[in-house]
Amino acid sequence: MRREIALWGAFIVVVAALPWLGIAADRYLMFLANVMLMFMTLALSWDIVARTGQLSLAHGAFFGLGAYGVAIAYRSGHLPPLLGILVAAAVTGIVALALGLVTLRLRGIYFAIATLAFAEVLRTVALQLPELTGGTVGIAMPPLFDGDRVLSYYLIGTIFVVTLGASIWIRRSRLQYAITAIRANETVAAVMGVNVVRTKVALFALSATLAALAGAFYMPFITHTDPADAFDISRSVSSLVFPIFGGLYTSIGPVVGTLILRSLEEYLRVTPPWKEGYQVVYGLVIVIAVLFLPRGLVGLVTQRVRRVPWRSSR
Amino acid sequence: MALLEVTGLVRRFRGLAAVDGLSFSVEQGQTLAIIGPNGAGKSTAFNLISGLLRPHGGTIHLDGRDVTRAPSHARTRAGLGRTFQLVQPFFDLDVLGNVMVGALFGSATHSLPTARVDAERLCGQVGLGDRLHAPVAALTIADRKRLELARALATRPRLLLLDELMEGLTPTEEREAIALLGRIRADGVTLLLIEHVMSTVRDLSDRVIVMDYGKLLAEGTYAEISKDPKVIGAYLGTDDEAAAS
Repeated sequence: MRREIALWGAFIVVVAALPWLGIAADRYLMFLANVMLMFMTLALSWDIVARTGQLSLAHGAFFGLGAYGVAIAYRSGHLPPLLGILVAAAVTGIVALALGLVTLRLRGIYFAIATLAFAEVLRTVALQLPELTGGTVGIAMPPLFDGDRVLSYYLIGTIFVVTLGASIWIRRSRLQYAITAIRANETVAAVMGVNVVRTKVALFALSATLAALAGAFYMPFITHTDPADAFDISRSVSSLVFPIFGGLYTSIGPVVGTLILRSLEEYLRVTPPWKEGYQVVYGLVIVIAVLFLPRGLVGLVTQRVRRVPWRSSR
Repeated sequence: MALLEVTGLVRRFRGLAAVDGLSFSVEQGQTLAIIGPNGAGKSTAFNLISGLLRPHGGTIHLDGRDVTRAPSHARTRAGLGRTFQLVQPFFDLDVLGNVMVGALFGSATHSLPTARVDAERLCGQVGLGDRLHAPVAALTIADRKRLELARALATRPRLLLLDELMEGLTPTEEREAIALLGRIRADGVTLLLIEHVMSTVRDLSDRVIVMDYGKLLAEGTYAEISKDPKVIGAYLGTDDEAAAS
């Protein structure tokens, strides 16, 4: 346990020092660094729900809800962006609580479909309420910190550290045992005294709140969004592909998965021979990884070290 | 007052009553065995009592409290534990972790450190003390049964439902298990068991109820039951192993 904390401590120091390693002045690289932490937050938040055996396709929607929330809070409620981010995340958490109470009694594929439907409903609602959301034109707000990408980097860095902390804390707490039991067999977990629905709903709401923080950061960072962008299904897909690639049910997996896949995606996107159809190459890498690394990159390492994924001593 | 009081329990599957007006009670400290031919409704009764199925009629009282509509986890926290006939360990946890789930969330909810101590003690008690960190997939059937028992005990049950715990055990393992259950009973845990192995029923139970077609066919001590012509006709007479014992 100590070693893991030390490892993460070192990682956070590197993340904090990054702008001063010569990239603070480079607006393109700082943009990538901001977006990287944002996607790491999204991937970590998605993994928290996955641990209970639920496949959420709503995380892109929670992200979008956070984005719209902060913009609406700013335009209609005159809330400063920093306060708006917190309010948008809290509101999303409450929405997720309600959604979870209705859908988390469903198991497996039915839950996944319900979350997908939720994302579509939100996109439609955003289109149908132009007074509030700007309709198809979308919604805009002034740039965060007057466009200072170093300051915004520390803001998303803080959000990332909070999310990482939640991800690590859950694995180290008694909740971890309830979660692993639920994933294995909900009926047996209940017979062991685990309140299955309450545990799943609470984690779902927490996870949605964290995803919404990422989205609420994105809005003033990017300054404009519309329903097609905010509720883009590809963001839901990213939030599950990154952890799966890196290693599910861990904290390091979503972080490493995001780092590698986002970097690869960006490299392919801007490098001449791959530029055309870079998504095909990107997709191929993911397919190969899923086929040959069922436990993700992390599994490649831990399988040699430990025989069981979770050892109940420290 | 009885620790468990089941009154007029009914459960139908597609119109067919698997449990049909079943009533019985278990006194504190007593060991009650439920026997009956396959399909008599024994496992359905267990699932109703532990909250995995909702009854279509009747009531279940645990220590005077009506738990008929209570969810499974609430019954566990009220002191009702159970094992499954088909053991279903949590494969992503090691042996100790499996037992810790019960210790953490059962009727005496513990913090992580105390749950670990408790779980280690229980693993030792059932004979898994040297395999605390073994992956569950590596365990033999007998060891998985031990794990199933340790996990149920970790919830600190006052009433423990055991669904064919002896199934698949060798005679030696069976004798060890009977001795273990004797110690558990001596600790004050009330046992309710479904059992096909008649020697186990004879050695462990204070009282036996016989089920047939979802109904109570007979009730009494093992000696009384084994002489009852109704029981012999419905059950013992058709079971070679039982008749031999």
